Order: sequence, then structure tokens, then C-alpha cells
Amino acid sequence: MPIVIAISFVMLAAAILLALVRLRRGPSVLDRILSFDLISTAVVGMIVLLSVAWHTPVFLEAVLIVSLLGFFTTVAFVFYLSRQRMSETDVPAADKEEGP
Amino acid sequence: MSWLADILCAALLLGGSALVLVAAIGIVRLPDVLCRSHALAKAMTLGISLMLAGLWIHLGREAAASGLKIVLAVLFQLLTIPVSSHLLSLMAWKNNLPRWRHAPVRDHRSPSARSPGGAGARARPEPQSLGERPA
Repeated sequence: MPIVIAISFVMLAAAILLALVRLRRGPSVLDRILSFDLISTAVVGMIVLLSVAWHTPVFLEAVLIVSLLGFFTTVAFVFYLSRQRMSETDVPAADKEEGP
Repeated sequence: MSWLADILCAALLLGGSALVLVAAIGIVRLPDVLCRSHALAKAMTLGISLMLAGLWIHLGREAAASGLKIVLAVLFQLLTIPVSSHLLSLMAWKNNLPRWRHAPVRDHRSPSARSPGGAGARARPEPQSLGERPA
């Protein structure tokens, strides 16, 4: 069983390294958001592997919190980018009128 | 019956982490934001669900209440990963990011990779940067 956990941990670490390659290379912001999503999911998988290795269920809250954090980070980035683009091109006049 | 649970847990953990690794390979190798999102969402959902199922089997009967949390985590992943990938794909569609239109993938076998001056000139157009404002 420790061998299985070590192999799975190595695979998740390789996944994080490949996502870091895309994070470095990615042409647009969306590629970087995708790779961040993959990194957060791989961290969730590492927490699952640790709780299998230590045979304890106390890290399930950490699993929930990290996955929640990844999802809300993605949504926040996308809404920030869409708001920026909309204020640039689509409705510039209405956006100016709404300002204080 | 303990060895059966161990074997099942090991298979689920290995399969889940292998699927996350497949998602990472897809995110590096595929040529497009939409293709990368396609590779990421499905493989990552199945991979993390399999790993959580392996944890559930490993914890067994003595921690039965934690099974509810594991089911909650799996349902949360199943709910949120399609939503986030849909938002990203909608963003890429709105911004007209360059898409892969059945061009041959440039890898180590293609001749354009060997001669960068010749056929490599038909490179993909540079995507417009999302973060920078035009002057």
C-alpha cells in the first residue's frame, strides 16, 4: 500500500509540473487559469493520498475547502476578465454613467 | 476481505491519479484553449472522484460519517468543474481566441519542427492578450 501511495504521489507531482509548464508557456490568461485549476485539483488529490496514508478522515474539510477555493478563484478571474472586456468595448458609455 | 478492499482502494487511487496525469498531459499537448478545457474537465472530474472513492473504501466502516463528506466533495466536484470550464470556454469564445482548425499538430514528427525557416513560417497567429488594454 505505501508503494501505491508513492506512485500516485509521483503521478500527481508530475501533473503539477506539467501544469507549471503550461502556466509558464500559456499564450493567454485562460490557459493559465486552466492550469491553476489543474494544480488545485492535484493538491486535493494529494490531500486524499495523505489521508489514505495516515488513515484518518479529518482532512476531508481541507478537501472541501481547497476545492471550493479553486472553483471560486476560477469564477472570480473569469468575471474580472469579462467585466474588463465589457467595459472596454461593448458598453463604454453605460459603464461610464454608472461610475460615481 | 481486507485484502479485497486494499486492492480496490489501490486500483482506485492509481486510476484517479493517472487520470489527473492524463489531464496534465492534455493541457500541455493540445493546441487550443477549448481543446485544453475539454481535456481538463472530464479527466479531472473522473480522476478526483475515483480518488475520493478510494479514500472512502480505505476508511471503511469505522468512519462511516465521513462517507457523507466524501459524497459531498464528489458532488461538489461534479457540480463545479463543468461550471468553471463552461465559463472559461465562454470567455474564450467571446474573445475570439485563435482556434485549432484541423491543422496538423506540430510535434517532433512534423517537418515544420525540423526546418523552422521553411514550413514553420505558417505558425499560428498570436492570440490577443486578455490582460492588456489597447492604447
